[in-house]
Amino acid sequence: MNLLGIAWRNIRQRPLTSALTALSLALGVALVVATLVTGALVQQAFESGAGLGYNMIGGAKGSPLQLVLNTVYFISKPIENVGWDTYQEFLPAARRADGVDGKYAASTGVAVPTCMGDYYRSFRVVGTNADFFGRLTRGDGEPFRFAAGSNFRDDDFFAGVIGATVAETLGLEVGDPFSPTHGADDGKEHDPFKVVGILERTWTPIDRGVFVNMEGFYLQDGHAKPLEDGAEPEAVEAVAGHGPAPLPAAQREVTAILLETASLPGLPPELTAMGLRTAINEGREAQAALPVAEIRQLLDLFVRPLELVLLLVTAMVVLVSALGILISMVGSSLERSRDVAIMRALGARRGHVLATVLIEAVLLAVGGGVVGWVLGHGIVAAIGPWIAANAGVRAGFFSSAPEAEAFLVPFLVLLAIAAALLPALAAYRTDVSRWLQGPG
Amino acid sequence: MPPAVIQLEKVRKSFAMPGGERVDVLDIDSFTVAPGEHLALEGQSGSGKSTLLNVISGITRPDAGRVFVDGIDLARLDEARRDRVRADKLGMVFQSFNLLPGFTALENVLVAMAFGSGRSDRARAIDLLGAVDLGHRLHHRPAELSTGQQQRVAVARALANRPRVVLADEPTASIDAAHQQQVIDLLRSTCTDHGVALVVVTHAPEVSAQFSRRLRLEDFNRAAAVHRH
Repeated sequence: MNLLGIAWRNIRQRPLTSALTALSLALGVALVVATLVTGALVQQAFESGAGLGYNMIGGAKGSPLQLVLNTVYFISKPIENVGWDTYQEFLPAARRADGVDGKYAASTGVAVPTCMGDYYRSFRVVGTNADFFGRLTRGDGEPFRFAAGSNFRDDDFFAGVIGATVAETLGLEVGDPFSPTHGADDGKEHDPFKVVGILERTWTPIDRGVFVNMEGFYLQDGHAKPLEDGAEPEAVEAVAGHGPAPLPAAQREVTAILLETASLPGLPPELTAMGLRTAINEGREAQAALPVAEIRQLLDLFVRPLELVLLLVTAMVVLVSALGILISMVGSSLERSRDVAIMRALGARRGHVLATVLIEAVLLAVGGGVVGWVLGHGIVAAIGPWIAANAGVRAGFFSSAPEAEAFLVPFLVLLAIAAALLPALAAYRTDVSRWLQGPG
Repeated sequence: MPPAVIQLEKVRKSFAMPGGERVDVLDIDSFTVAPGEHLALEGQSGSGKSTLLNVISGITRPDAGRVFVDGIDLARLDEARRDRVRADKLGMVFQSFNLLPGFTALENVLVAMAFGSGRSDRARAIDLLGAVDLGHRLHHRPAELSTGQQQRVAVARALANRPRVVLADEPTASIDAAHQQQVIDLLRSTCTDHGVALVVVTHAPEVSAQFSRRLRLEDFNRAAAVHRH
């Protein structure tokens, strides 16, 4: 039997007290673990969304963060819209009616317009074109994949693609009709669109999006930009066999333009991006926001401090739990003094009894910590579906915050040693002759 | 003649009273125990029995004089080394047995081994308990054992580290008369079997009468004699 065995036996000698002490510590650790992992998931949610196959967003002048939150995460309201001609400036000659390159075309690889403002049963509706799923990637460099159906065609005005969460939540299938509402959940109902594709889950905000052909989107009530006084509406003819005539360019607006900057020969991609961003921001029509930079700033300014506060609160819970170790050990000090005196009389050195008490505390802390770790991950697994539905990130038992969690065990060990130091020193100083004194 | 396993030379020990006055407890010119020798130490309450045992076992340091255990001068050792000598050379049997209540009979013996220089020898611990007829009670805690069985665990524990001497402090004081003789017989036979010296401290004349060498503390501890008078 070694000191570890003696410490373990001491713990088993007081099963209820030991179990309660470890349990209180376990609950504290579970809170810390759940907080750490949830914080990591929030970060992951933002970071995964910030790399959706484009590196810049063009939109109306205003808050770049609001532009990013609204465009990428479907949070907050759109700032304003920019004109169709602003979007056209990113397109090459081949895709413009006038056959001339847009002024930003040389620096632009892909430009995808989005129009926002409608909802379908609490999910945001995004008007866009087929390039969204055809030319952008889902963030991990992989192309979008469809669980059912396929991407809509640009000439199929009333077609839509829905994210995995939307499909699951609303039970929509390919071929089902759906009618977005204007401005809010309870807004005026628009014409019905038809689901032609359901995306595979991406664990990004895309899962929560309803994407419709922007040509159909433009034709809904309230979506056409009013003409200036006295201006004559431009005549646009319908293409035979493809439904109604599209909205004239003069009446079109876009909420945001998702941009993948081009790699210019001899220039690093970052430099191209910076140059394009400066050029856009110096103009009067629009602003350019870098999602990664904005999200990093958001995380640094708000999310991390909030996470830190939460962590401090939960760390306090652990500290209070660690006091349980101290209380438990001080409470059993009378019983322990006699045992220590016996062991000292049998030849145990003061260092032995000191170490035994500290090992006992460390065993309780590590035991409670392991149970708490499992419990904390269990909590995350239990609320995983809710996190997945709301944050669009995968959350399960094995979701982790590896860097922070790696500090947990050393922290607990140090905490246990600190808590047990007082009773350990009391054991160290135990007066053998006093406790074992017989008559004479 | 082989060297004594215990030898005290001019040992003095006094304690400070709450009022600051010092009271002499031990004043012994010479005291020896030969290897394998069995002796009884008689003493009335206050005669310094416990202090003498604490000095021999190295728990208490004398104010003056030298204490040899198996030829090792305890006075020259620091506390940790005295603890090691106690673990290796001395076996202790206490008046109230002082078994660790949360540990089984076997673990009580193994704990004693944990503090000695040798390795923790489970087979030897089982043998020791078997020798005192407790082979069937290895995994019972003290509360699950009778008084006599507890005392036998204490005897087995005292022999755990192959000591040179067993110090038994009033080993019969807490048990009924019927079991007293069994305990003394067990101590003597076990120590004889293992070739270990035995010092039994007692205030019971019927116990000390069984030993060929019996000493009264008052006869060789001048401090005790002063108190008596």
